[in-house]
Amino acid sequence: MSTRWLAQPERGNRRLIRLLTWITLKLGRPVARWLLYPICLYFLLFSGRTQRISREYLQRILKRPAGWRDVFRHYHAFASTIHDRVYLLSGRHRYFDIRIEGASALHAILAQKRGCILLGSHLGSFEVLRAHGLFDQQLPITVIMHEAAASNLNAVLHSLHPEIRDHIIPPGTPDTMLAVKERLDQGEMVGILGDRVFGDEKGMTCDFLGKPRMFPEGPFLLAALLQVPVVLFFGLYQGGRQYDIHFEPLADSIHLDRVRRSETLRPWIERYVSRLEHYCRLYPYNWFNFYDLTDDARPSHTAV
Amino acid sequence: MASSPQLGFTTASGLEQDLAKLIVDSLRLEVAPGDIDPAAPLFGDGLGLDSIDMLEIALAVSKRYAVELRSENRAALASLRALAAHIAQQRTS
Repeated sequence: MSTRWLAQPERGNRRLIRLLTWITLKLGRPVARWLLYPICLYFLLFSGRTQRISREYLQRILKRPAGWRDVFRHYHAFASTIHDRVYLLSGRHRYFDIRIEGASALHAILAQKRGCILLGSHLGSFEVLRAHGLFDQQLPITVIMHEAAASNLNAVLHSLHPEIRDHIIPPGTPDTMLAVKERLDQGEMVGILGDRVFGDEKGMTCDFLGKPRMFPEGPFLLAALLQVPVVLFFGLYQGGRQYDIHFEPLADSIHLDRVRRSETLRPWIERYVSRLEHYCRLYPYNWFNFYDLTDDARPSHTAV
Repeated sequence: MASSPQLGFTTASGLEQDLAKLIVDSLRLEVAPGDIDPAAPLFGDGLGLDSIDMLEIALAVSKRYAVELRSENRAALASLRALAAHIAQQRTS
């Protein structure tokens, strides 16, 4: 198993993931969670690059030197959210204590039938929201992410709930945004993670936790072109069985200046970044974007 | 820009030229419409467009030619020529 599994879970070994998934469902969460300790310890010992990124981030957010305990806690939170995807995707979301803030604002926007962009991030868990929406049938959510076939982890997890494939739009194809438009036209929600720039996507450098970092313009451009509202979404892991979901309306409609495009988008992107920073401070161990914060080299297309 | 659904093009290349201009104008590309190779891919390596650009093209095409591009029309998004052919076909059918 590659040590880059933690940063790039899609590279994980499919057979091992299947075994862990089986154990997870057979033994139940309290017992299966003990497995997370040796797994995190393994990564603590063998993931030099990821650990450096984690430590550097933690030092900045905690404003003190970060030791191996902090890194372990960071890994453990990440492993917990991935592990919980097994339960969320197999319809056991009611097992969790999920607190939702801002749901009425979201429902008011959805009632307008204009569709809505749910702008998330690699802070916390996207799955907690998706499972909630899928199983309760109140919130049809389609997520832009790489197809299960490209990812061992997602291939195994999605087999727990095959219908989820109808709610995934792969990024980076000519018709990606046309497919997104069709969902929005139906009044549905489309989830996008707004904190990582892929491939040749247009990006903008913003200050994030005191350092410049590249953020994609795409989600905001999309909202402006289609005149759909943008709602921020954070699904944060509190520890134990508890997840906190926060919805915050960001923009009812974004107007683009034809000539000064990037400039008109900047205030919206900065507002997104400042809310992201806010929740990073509240849930520091939830930041699962294990790419170098100072590295604005763009990662190639990998899983969300 | 006039958005008349009665645009009559007597030749396929006439429509291609009009479409090239529409693409250059709506995406503010720094390339002359005549320099776009009609057979080259629009997306990625060819003209260097991304998925959002393709959406903008679809919106502009819908406005100007009253033809809706849908995600299942992937083949029509391949090149200027393919897109022009798709528009011509949709407008006559």
